[in-house]
Amino acid sequence: MTTINEEIAALLRDSGVSKVLATADMQGVPHILLDQSITINDEGQIVYLELTETSQTNVNLVNSIWFKRRVAVTVSTGKETYQIKGTPAYSIICGPVFEHYYKQALERNPDYDLSTVWLIEPEEITADTYAHRRSREQAEHPLVMHLDRLALGTI
Amino acid sequence: MCAATAQSASRSEELTLKEVISKYSNVSPFVIIKSDITRRSFVYTERALGALDKTKHQHQQRVLIGSNGDGERAVPVSLLLRDGTSIIAMPSPHAKNPYVVDEIGGKLYITDQGEIVEEVEYWYKPHYYDKFTSAGTPMWQVASARPQRLDIDPNSHCHFWHKGGACKFCNINANSTRSRKESNIQKQLQAQDVYETVREALKQPGAFTNLKMSSGSILSGAEIFDDEVEMYIEMLQAAGANFRQRKFPSTLVASAFNERQLARLYENTGLMTYTSDIEIPNEELFAWICKGKHQEVGYREWKRRIIAAVDIFGRGNVTSGIVGGCETARPHGIRDEAEALKVVLEEAEDFAQQGVSMVHCVWVPMQGSAFHNQETPSLEYYVQLAKGLSDLRVKYSLNADMDNYRKCGNHPDTDLDRGRPVAG
Ligand code: SF4
Repeated sequence: MTTINEEIAALLRDSGVSKVLATADMQGVPHILLDQSITINDEGQIVYLELTETSQTNVNLVNSIWFKRRVAVTVSTGKETYQIKGTPAYSIICGPVFEHYYKQALERNPDYDLSTVWLIEPEEITADTYAHRRSREQAEHPLVMHLDRLALGTI
Repeated sequence: MCAATAQSASRSEELTLKEVISKYSNVSPFVIIKSDITRRSFVYTERALGALDKTKHQHQQRVLIGSNGDGERAVPVSLLLRDGTSIIAMPSPHAKNPYVVDEIGGKLYITDQGEIVEEVEYWYKPHYYDKFTSAGTPMWQVASARPQRLDIDPNSHCHFWHKGGACKFCNINANSTRSRKESNIQKQLQAQDVYETVREALKQPGAFTNLKMSSGSILSGAEIFDDEVEMYIEMLQAAGANFRQRKFPSTLVASAFNERQLARLYENTGLMTYTSDIEIPNEELFAWICKGKHQEVGYREWKRRIIAAVDIFGRGNVTSGIVGGCETARPHGIRDEAEALKVVLEEAEDFAQQGVSMVHCVWVPMQGSAFHNQETPSLEYYVQLAKGLSDLRVKYSLNADMDNYRKCGNHPDTDLDRGRPVAG
């Protein structure tokens, strides 16, 4: 498990910030879910609250925890974007932690019937804006570019 | 099926847990670990018992078949794995090669020969646990809580024992007599206690997804099992009085009732699903192992009644449990594991074709049962059995939500369904 720094943790805690969870099924077919309620707990684990027991995301997460398959969470304000790759470490379906989030989900919407609290342990964090990707590309693959960008008279 | 002609894989040829996990890389390792812990049993270290917090964890329970603790000391009632898989087992001081639950660095782990296998957690107490009914009955003696299931077992005495007809793997009467003597747990529940305990249990947000009732068989009545049916109607009505709609997610694990009895149950209670255990899915072995059931009802009629229940409860709402591995018991069992598996899965397929899911638990040769000194088959057998039963549900589009990992938790095969659920 790697540590998420305070700047990214603050974004994860902010319910106004967009967050996306990407999982894949056993055949590798991707599945993407947008959920602003994704957050981080005091142990530095990403918390995802699954409301539907047999949703594609939940089934993919079950297979991820069983077979140590990684998932990805992207958090973005538009200006700043980070991608966090990690592995689901706990699928909590009962006990005090579950009850805490069950009540929290009910407060958000009385119709919510929480299925599972997923705790995802981060393993790799990358800044993911175009500027970050481009500077990485230039550093790691300096030969990969179009020549017109180097022509006299261009910036 | 003759022990003299059949062969058994030698114990030394058995694969280890690690080897089985690696060989069956498309089967959940958590389910494999669960099966092996149940099969080999476990013990607690002093450190692990020190982590039991009686204010938070369950340490005593009303148990129908199994035990309510084998020693003087309070022990956790059971274990939960990181992925939410339940382990329904008690530690056994008699186990020959048990796992060890230890506390290491503030966390609990299942260990084997000093190596960490997996993290575990003790089962938490539900909020009703330390309360009492108006009659003064401790609520934990009325309802047992699995991680997401409320168990109400109104009668812990089985009539099949009276004339030597007890199922050979079962210890119900021995256990209930001991529980009565040592912990003052009553064999029969009162409807008012059931009503009050369920009312209290429902106050806890998100605690339960299923209410299950079960009991020992009651043979009396105008027709066999009539009195058992009446008892369940009374108890289900008492529990059901707490719900705002008539039908609620619920399961009955009971004797094989005839169509008239099933219809009475369905029409007069909130019951939604039904299980009657065929136990050993082979007529000859059933006659030997479940002698009383065979003499009073018979294998074919027991099976016919389970299948007839589909017309009343609906496809996917009827399951039948087997004591996985018991078909290999000495001296009449099928000692060749491949042959035993074939026999079980062929019969399971016949059930599945007719809308009934066969689900298995891991046979534990329990103290107090006739088979207490027997040996279970290999871990590989259990992995193949769980996968085989789960595959049948995929093949026949049979949903087993009624008996899944959180509504029951005692079936490695339905635990596997979680990774590829079948729509109902
Ligand atoms: S019918 Fe068999 S398994 Fe069921 S309680 Fe009686 S003896 Fe035990």
